[in-house]
Amino acid sequence: MTLAQIGVDVRQAGQGDAVRGVVPRWVALPTSVEEIAAVLRACAEQDLAVTPAGGRTKLGWAASPERCDVLLDLSRMDALLEHAAGDLVVRAQAGLPMDALAAALADKGQELALDVPPGWGATVGGTLAAGLAGPRAFRYGTARDLLIGVTVVLADGTIARSGGKVVKNVAGYDLGKLFTGSYGTLGVIAEATFRLHPLPAGRRWVVAEPDAAEVPAVAAALATAQAEPSAVEVDRPRQDGPVALAALVEGTAAEARAEALREIVGSGTVTAEPPAWWGRIPPGETLAEARFPPAATGAVLEAAGTALRGSPVSGRMLLATDERLGVSTLRKAVEEHGGRVVVLRTPDDDVDRWGQVSALGLMRRVKERFDPGRRMSPGRFVGGL
Amino acid sequence: MDPKLINDCVHCGFCLPTCPTYVLWGEEMDSPRGRIHLMSQHVEGTPMTPEMAGHFDACLGCMACVTACPSGVQYDRLIEQTRVVVEQEYERPPQERAVRGIVFSLFPYPRRLRMLRPTMGLARRMASFLTRVNPSLGAMTALAPRVERRERLPRVVKARGERRAVVGMLLGCVQREFFPQVNAATARVLSMEGCDVVIPPGQGCCGALSVHSGLDKQARRLASRTVRTFRKAGVDTVVVNAAGCGSSMKEYADLLGYDPGFRVMDLSEFLAELGPVAVRHPLRRTVAYHDACHLAHAQGVRAQPRELLNGIPGLELREIPDSAICCGSAGTYNLLRPEAARDLGDRKAKAVGSTGAELLVSANPGCTMQIAAAMRRAGADIKVAHTAEVLDASLRGAEL
Amino acid sequence: MDELIAALHSLLPADSVITDPVRLRTYECDGLTYHRATPGVVVLPETAEQIARVVRLCNDFGVPFVARGSGTGLSGGALPREDGVLVVTAKMRRILEIDLPNRRAVVEPGVTNLAITEAVRDQGYYYAPDPSSQQVCSIGGNVAENSGGAHCLKYGFTVNHVEACEIVTPEGDLVTLDRMDPGYDLLGAFIGSEGTLGIATKITVRLSRTPEAVTTVLAAFESIEQGGQAVSAIIGAGIVPAAIEMMDALSIEAAEAAVACAYPAGAGAVLIVELDGPAAEVEQQFARLREICSAAFELRVAAGPAERAAIWKGRKSAFAAVGRISPAYIVQDGVVPRTSLPAVLAAIDRLSREHRIRVANVFHAGDGNLHPLVLFDDGTPGEGERAEVVSGAILDLCIEHGGSITGEHGVGVDKSRYMPRMFGADDLDTMQLVRCAFDPRGLSNPGKVFPTPRLCGEVPGVRKGVHPLVESGKAEQF
Repeated sequence: MTLAQIGVDVRQAGQGDAVRGVVPRWVALPTSVEEIAAVLRACAEQDLAVTPAGGRTKLGWAASPERCDVLLDLSRMDALLEHAAGDLVVRAQAGLPMDALAAALADKGQELALDVPPGWGATVGGTLAAGLAGPRAFRYGTARDLLIGVTVVLADGTIARSGGKVVKNVAGYDLGKLFTGSYGTLGVIAEATFRLHPLPAGRRWVVAEPDAAEVPAVAAALATAQAEPSAVEVDRPRQDGPVALAALVEGTAAEARAEALREIVGSGTVTAEPPAWWGRIPPGETLAEARFPPAATGAVLEAAGTALRGSPVSGRMLLATDERLGVSTLRKAVEEHGGRVVVLRTPDDDVDRWGQVSALGLMRRVKERFDPGRRMSPGRFVGGL
Repeated sequence: MDPKLINDCVHCGFCLPTCPTYVLWGEEMDSPRGRIHLMSQHVEGTPMTPEMAGHFDACLGCMACVTACPSGVQYDRLIEQTRVVVEQEYERPPQERAVRGIVFSLFPYPRRLRMLRPTMGLARRMASFLTRVNPSLGAMTALAPRVERRERLPRVVKARGERRAVVGMLLGCVQREFFPQVNAATARVLSMEGCDVVIPPGQGCCGALSVHSGLDKQARRLASRTVRTFRKAGVDTVVVNAAGCGSSMKEYADLLGYDPGFRVMDLSEFLAELGPVAVRHPLRRTVAYHDACHLAHAQGVRAQPRELLNGIPGLELREIPDSAICCGSAGTYNLLRPEAARDLGDRKAKAVGSTGAELLVSANPGCTMQIAAAMRRAGADIKVAHTAEVLDASLRGAEL
Repeated sequence: MDELIAALHSLLPADSVITDPVRLRTYECDGLTYHRATPGVVVLPETAEQIARVVRLCNDFGVPFVARGSGTGLSGGALPREDGVLVVTAKMRRILEIDLPNRRAVVEPGVTNLAITEAVRDQGYYYAPDPSSQQVCSIGGNVAENSGGAHCLKYGFTVNHVEACEIVTPEGDLVTLDRMDPGYDLLGAFIGSEGTLGIATKITVRLSRTPEAVTTVLAAFESIEQGGQAVSAIIGAGIVPAAIEMMDALSIEAAEAAVACAYPAGAGAVLIVELDGPAAEVEQQFARLREICSAAFELRVAAGPAERAAIWKGRKSAFAAVGRISPAYIVQDGVVPRTSLPAVLAAIDRLSREHRIRVANVFHAGDGNLHPLVLFDDGTPGEGERAEVVSGAILDLCIEHGGSITGEHGVGVDKSRYMPRMFGADDLDTMQLVRCAFDPRGLSNPGKVFPTPRLCGEVPGVRKGVHPLVESGKAEQF
């Protein structure tokens, strides 16, 4: 059956549907897991390449696909399928916007502790596929740590589940982890189940502007503070500018604990609102992520010749610039301290976005098994996967 | 090897990290769980192969696994039964037989030990030669301490002050010959705490070494002689200051099949129960207390010696890391399995060294000899003492 | 096998290759004694390079291999192959690096879980996952099984605390899987793969800061229902304790017999709740907890580490302790959504009566992870079979309520037959794709996790006739 015959809404694609410059021929708008499967089966029959999309916030990230015939738009799969509040578990379709999910959960006093920039428009599926960490990853982990079950559709239309709706579960391989951060190159994430946390009774931020040279030491002290911050972030809008530091405390005794953290910082104020930059992606045409052992914070601050925002305690920072990013120099400096640099978004096509990856051989084999026809976002990911 | 006792093991493996040979080699068949598995193989009909016997022989009998076992497996009884079977069914190679012969015709007999002692000084000078001939002979000489003075104990040491108890006292073989000062201190401490101490003359070996080595007949002969001796003395409590002796004597009823008619208590156990009356003088020392396996694991006596030591003003007690792991002395083990014993001794010496304590206290002569020798090898000499000696010094206001 | 053994001897020191039949048999099972197989040969390598060479040899000879750590697994994950090599990591137990500024430690696979905590405790750190067997189980085994423990309710599992693993792939390559690396999360897929995707040879674990305050509470209830209600109320109040454990009367009896834990007499259920974190937070949560547990007839609060250990002692020894009240038993491991606990416990009770088989319940109530201990007398004809029926029916209950057939013990050889009840054929086939990517020849711990592994390279769909490999005796189908 061709794409037109399967009974799924398909429209002609336009310039606005481009995946980093590659304009697909069609946009398919499935409304169920079965419809996704039908689309992918049809694409398999006709050897059409597919790129899944949600809120399209990160469609311009990563590399351009080698080819893209169909944009699989999941925006109509936006249902919150089940919120088992007593079990602190939620199941949602991939196209559900994270903001809508957060609002629904907040009604029951719960949250999914992934910090997606509010108002951005990111969806559940895209958040998983890109696997970007937010500030509170320090306390709660990243998307892969909070995902407990997933339904995926493979390139041949096979619908597969792994995990389930209980937090503790070691039956079978964890496909959710494999798909998280895979940029749509293994298949389509159709539904996801997450573990939730109760909304904390209170939140306080300690906001300070310590001397830039002291930031690594202050961050290290905060990371091991028994007042247990949920997140510690820094923001440096300009390469040689001042560094703002903020630490978040959550709980019934947030105020007192925030005061304890302020003592550690040695300056600053305790507020009930986050600073304006908190948890947002720094502006700039080129966006890179440095991942590093926390003790390398000083080295990263020094090596990054750009604006920068992120967590010195988790060892993850976003570097943003409108100019050309000197990736190889930056990467060399960060890798010397045991870190990595990944270019998330850049207009520059000649950049090595990923750097060295030890297990690339295994990754290629995984890709070959899951998508032997190279139809799922081919070329978007590490090593041209 | 009672199949019922074997079946108690659920194969959970909780014993593994406490077993000295597993700690050394990481091999299943040299763990309690593995040895129990070997026992079941034997019960099912596999003959006693040299490999099997070797793994049973390698067991130090420290009983740390008994403490660790949540299922209550009586490994102590199992290994004792097994050792008897090994002795009955397995013919050892000639050289091994010779060494065992020397050990078992020597140590359970204080008089023979004593006759040998003057030659020990000479033997020590010959140690490197003996090690080459046979590591066991080398081990024997390297461990033996220099005995400062002989102390002769009377038949009865009267209680000082008000009499609170009458107790018998076991002298032990190694204790008596190599550590007479410990026995003297024990008698003094008991007396200062208000006990009449009855020390029957002519007491021999309690049989512990033989029990631990599967020499069933010798064990029973020595045990029944010891029972007769203390019955004749008319005491209802026998205080023992050597952990290995104490643990075996507590099992006399099982070994002999009748009630010996007196209760056996470790010195620290007895003193803790009796409660202190004598004045403790300050002793400004940092002390590492070593749990002798036959006290901590076989008798479950851990808190009492610590309590007694902590009761001494000025004394700072430090815990030794991995305290549950045997030092490698284990009765005659350091004589029969010198290499393994040496490795374990080195590990223990390192652990003791890490405490920074200036004095090592233990309740078993074998342990003290073993650890002191290991520390000497590592170039970190440490003063050693028996719990009784530390208490004695504090009670008398004397230096250690 | 003889040629392989000769080749192994040329790779490893003599005492690292075990071939004596009496010795080999001591490796015939792990913590699950129900399944036994004497390995063809056992090797005890001391380096990753040696493991890689052994695995390459296995590839050369087309012989399967199975990795084993301390042999404490409860699903037969380390059950050897009679035609294969058992790779025991018990000699690889060095802590290679402790890096406190980066809050991590690098260890060899044979290091015990507790040894990591012991190495950093004095500096105010610990390794968070704490399976009940933590003093003996190895980190390599924890990685294979994605082990949890009582405190994973708040802190997560092994997978949440491992930063990187050096592994020997099923084809014998040394590869590092690092959370920091871009690309697929192969580390996440590897952890919990039960030895079917290779052998971990070096593990970088995250260390956690010791919490400022820990309050351990033992609440005794007259009935298991009251205990269950308290659990729901705790979660409902927005409290995430470090642990919520529950034991029923029968398991309390066993623990009492084993370790004299002195839990309150006459309790139908005890709840162990541990709160930890900043002191101010713990204090407020404890006040709330006290209100919630008002139905408890006794509430004990541990005053110090010794009392805390005393409270935990009964719980941690519960499995093995059941040996004191029953000649034989099956330790079951299943998960249900927490809110289904009351219904499932009632159903287990019905099963128990119906089949005249006693079931002691010990469970991680906070995350709905049940550990029913199915008791039987192997000396009484038919009782073992009835216990099997009850044990299996409990898993069916878990699946029925949307749960899992294993929360932490793994699938191993024991539960592979239940996998098709929890997952569809497409789900299992998709998992098999991962297996084929790592281990196309199926040599790494074959026969575990999956009931009827499709041979890699085979096209999915209806199988017709006997597979050529099965016919030629090179593979078998279950």
